[in-house]
Parts: sequence; structure tokens; C-alpha cells
Amino acid sequence: MMKNDTMHLAGVYTKYVMKSWFQYKVDAVLRSLAVFLREATGIFVIYFTLLEFDSLNGWNIYEMLFLFSLLFVTYGILILFFTGLRDFGHTVRTGGFDRFILRPRGLLFQLIFCNADWFAAIGHGGLGIVLFIISAGKVGVQWDVVTILYYIFAIIGGVLIQGAIFLFLATLNIYLLETGSIKELFYFNAREFAGYPISIFSKGIQAVMIYVVPFAFVNYFPAQYLLRKPDMEQYPEIFMYLTPVVGVVMYLLAYGFWRFSVKYYKSSGN
Amino acid sequence: MISFENVDKFILANMCVHIPKGVTVGLIGATGSGKTTFIKLICGLLAPDKGNVYVMDHEPVSMLGKREAELGVLFAQLPSLQTEETVVNNFHSLKLIYRLKESFFEKSYKTLSERLGFGGFQYEKIGNLSMGQRRRAELGAALIHNPRLLLLDEPTIGLDMNGKEAIRALIKEREAKGLTNIVTSHDMSDISDVCSRICILDKGRICYYGRSDILFRKYAPVDVMQLTLQGGIPDIEDLPVKSYHIDGDKLKLIYNSNQITSAEILKVILSKASIKEVSIKKPNLADVIMKIERGIADEQFY
Repeated sequence: MMKNDTMHLAGVYTKYVMKSWFQYKVDAVLRSLAVFLREATGIFVIYFTLLEFDSLNGWNIYEMLFLFSLLFVTYGILILFFTGLRDFGHTVRTGGFDRFILRPRGLLFQLIFCNADWFAAIGHGGLGIVLFIISAGKVGVQWDVVTILYYIFAIIGGVLIQGAIFLFLATLNIYLLETGSIKELFYFNAREFAGYPISIFSKGIQAVMIYVVPFAFVNYFPAQYLLRKPDMEQYPEIFMYLTPVVGVVMYLLAYGFWRFSVKYYKSSGN
Repeated sequence: MISFENVDKFILANMCVHIPKGVTVGLIGATGSGKTTFIKLICGLLAPDKGNVYVMDHEPVSMLGKREAELGVLFAQLPSLQTEETVVNNFHSLKLIYRLKESFFEKSYKTLSERLGFGGFQYEKIGNLSMGQRRRAELGAALIHNPRLLLLDEPTIGLDMNGKEAIRALIKEREAKGLTNIVTSHDMSDISDVCSRICILDKGRICYYGRSDILFRKYAPVDVMQLTLQGGIPDIEDLPVKSYHIDGDKLKLIYNSNQITSAEILKVILSKASIKEVSIKKPNLADVIMKIERGIADEQFY
């Protein structure tokens, strides 16, 4: 009964959120397209650059596009569920979080279902799918039940890893009120590096991408499982199988931090 | 229902107050006096730095997210409804959020939409409504689950007279049913019309908390009677009035209503003269607040 009730409310919220984002249909299409083209421009630059070099540390252009596609597809799914956490600082500063707190429903539930950036989801997710379609048939992957299941679990794990980063950064807002620059540094800047095989970077950056902001588990190691590039030799083989585990563990840790911290949330006096 | 024990928080200092179940308390104070902090402590958005707050036998902070139909809140500065959604859809979300039964919801929605007057624009988006229309819907949202405790921060901002009358009537009915209401307002008529108790905050301290009639008797018992007389001014030296002024056939009396009533004065004057006109002015709540806050003596009150 309770679960049905919660799912019903989640469905109602989702319906309202979609109606809100797609209120003006032409605008919605143009803004989604704008996000798509903005992100695609970066890919074009890399594409034409790589045409000059043939490959990057053994990765050809289609393998690079496959690497990018994992990043964009996971972000497209991520942002449908975690827009409320991405914008949490604004919600706190404008008093919206007080409204959520006063309602007899889970805070994280409300944050997850009360908003979803559909334009970012379509722009990023759409680009990810396009890149996947362009590259998947040209990177030598045998698409069978095992690889398809692996791909699905890798996507889920990648979404959870980035969701955990969003949740952790949102939780910091409770203590710091403003974490925009931290989010820029530890998520969006780190994500820029994740577009490339991490083996091209220095050991320090590699360590950050594996152990601190583990984007390597979002796309590099899953891509390695499917592509088996020679530069994987420098990393433990088990890393190729850990994405869902890293995702679940990171999300649980971030959730624990959230549950611990939300007790310390303080509203303003007026 | 609500208990503050030596509470310190922001400007509030060593606050002690007990609010029983079934009363309507008007919270009055200048901007920055601690009204919103007081309300936020009650609903658990703030925790006291020192002392204890108990609401319905629990510390409010520990009850966040757990209260079902117990608490209704409206903050002046905090939008409580989704701006991109229609009024009626917002209420349907609230039905799910508060887990209200269909029959209860339908009845409550019908009553509130008719009385607060938001039924006429229920298919409009909240973001397209005027301030007064939005406030009517927000008041309905705070009341839809018939909470045991209702906290209203400046509830009548933007409302016309009909809207003000509607919310005042609803608050009075809640009190009659034994439900508790706390109202802050800069509109003294909101407070004096609906509140059985008054709590006056001044720089974080309570300078009066109690029944509104006692507030008047204690702080502003000074009434003014203006008379137009026929056939001369009678001898009133024996009347225990504070002062009197004579201007032709007009007599102005200033007196302490705790010492002598208007009826007693009129009886004496009628026995000695004919009265053409009479008016009696009693202090209103705004006068009393000003008197308390500025420390005005009775003699300088009028």
C-alpha cells in the first residue's frame, strides 16, 4: 500500500514536471537541440583533431566516440533523477528546502521527483545515443547477451557513481550553503578529463579519476571490458567489473552522509 | 500543545511560554523581533541553541517528515505551491503527500475552495495568479488536511476584505473545534478579530502573553467619551475621571475604565443634563502595542 502510494506520487510528480518542461513545445525542442549542439560541438572539435593524429594512445576515433557515448548516456539518465540535487544549493537558498522538510515525505524522494532537467536529459542522452549508434558497430564489440547485460549494468553503475557525487556535493550545501565552485571543480571539470582514455594523463590525474572522482569507472573501465585496449594492462583487471559495485557503494556512502547531515540542516531566521 | 523552556535562538533570548491546545495566539512584533524564528522553532525548521521546545509532546526537529495531518504551515515569503501547475493539480498532489482519503479530500477541497474563493480559478496555473488569488490557494493548501496545529505567517497579505473575512472565520471555527492556531500579522485587525491570546515580542523577548481583553485592561484602560450637551455643562467634579475638557456645549472625558464604566458616567450626566450626542472611543490593538513598545504613559495616550 505504502509503496503503491509512493509510486503513485512519484508518477504524479513526473507528470507535472514533464508538463512544466514541455509547456511550450517549440521552445522545448529548440532548447533540447541547443544542449545537443553545444555538447556535440566539443565532440566535433575532438573528432577533427583526432583525424590528424589517427589515434590517441591506441584509441581510434570510433573508440573515442564510444568512450564519450557512455559519458553522455549516463548523464542523460542521471539528470532525470538528480536535477534536484544538482540545483540543491539554489533550493536551500530560496527556502524551497523548508517546504520539502515540512511535508510528511522523504526529503530525497521529493528532491528526486520534484524536478527533472528534461532538456539536458534529451540533449546529453540524445547525443550519447547518436554517438553509440555511430561507434558501436565499428569498435569490434560482439553484441551478445553477456555484453548487452554488461553494458546495462555499466550504465546503471555509471549513473549511480555520478548520482553519488551529486548527492555528496548537495550534502555539503547543508554545511557550506554555497558549493557551486566545488561542484564545478569536482564534477564538471573532472568530467572533461573523462572524455579521454585516462591512460594519457599523469599518474596523479589517473589516481583522482579512479579513487577520488571515479569517472574512470563510468566510461573508461567499462569501455575497456568491451574493447580490450592494450593500455588496460597497467590497471588491475578487476577494475573492468567493478562499475556497478563502485556505484552502489558510493551511493550508499553518500546516502549515509546525507542522512547524517540533514539532521544538522538549519533554516534561516527569516 | 506548545512549550518553550528557556529557549535561545538568534534574537530570541531565554524565552519561556506555554500555549495550550485549542487557542488562537496572535504573534505581534516589529520587523526583526523574532516572530518568524518563533514559528520556525515550532515547526522544527530551527533547533534552539539553548533550552527546549516541545510541540505535541515531541521536539519538533525530531518529528520532521513524520507528522501527517498534524501541522499546517504558511510562510509569507515561502511559496508553498508549484507555480507551473494548476491550483487543482497542486491540491491533488497534496492529497497524495498527506495521504488523505478521497472522500475527506473532496469534502475539504469543496469547502475551502468555496469559502476562500479559489474554486473560480482552480484550473489556472499558480504562476498566472495575482498575489491575492495565490494567497487564497496557499491558505487552502495549509488547511486542506485539517491540521491540529496551524501556523500562519502574515496570512492576509494581498487579500481583499472578503478574503480576510473568510480566513478569519475559518480560524475562529477551528478554535471552536479545539484546534490550535498561531497567527503573525502586521494587520492588527487580523489579530484583534480572531485571536483569543496575544503574544507581543519586542527584540526577542515576550513583553506580553495572555488574553487580549486583559491586555487592554492592563495596558490601555483609558477610554475617551465625547458628549454634546443641551442646557449647559453639569457639575462633574465628583466623577473619578482622569481629566475633562469643555468646549462650548461639548464635553470630553478621559477616564480609566477599570475605575468607572461608561454606563456609570452616562447615568450621572443624564441625571443632571440632556445629551444630544455621545461617542466613546476605546483604544485599538495598534494603540496598545504602540503604548507598550514606546512606554507611553496613560496621561499621554490621547
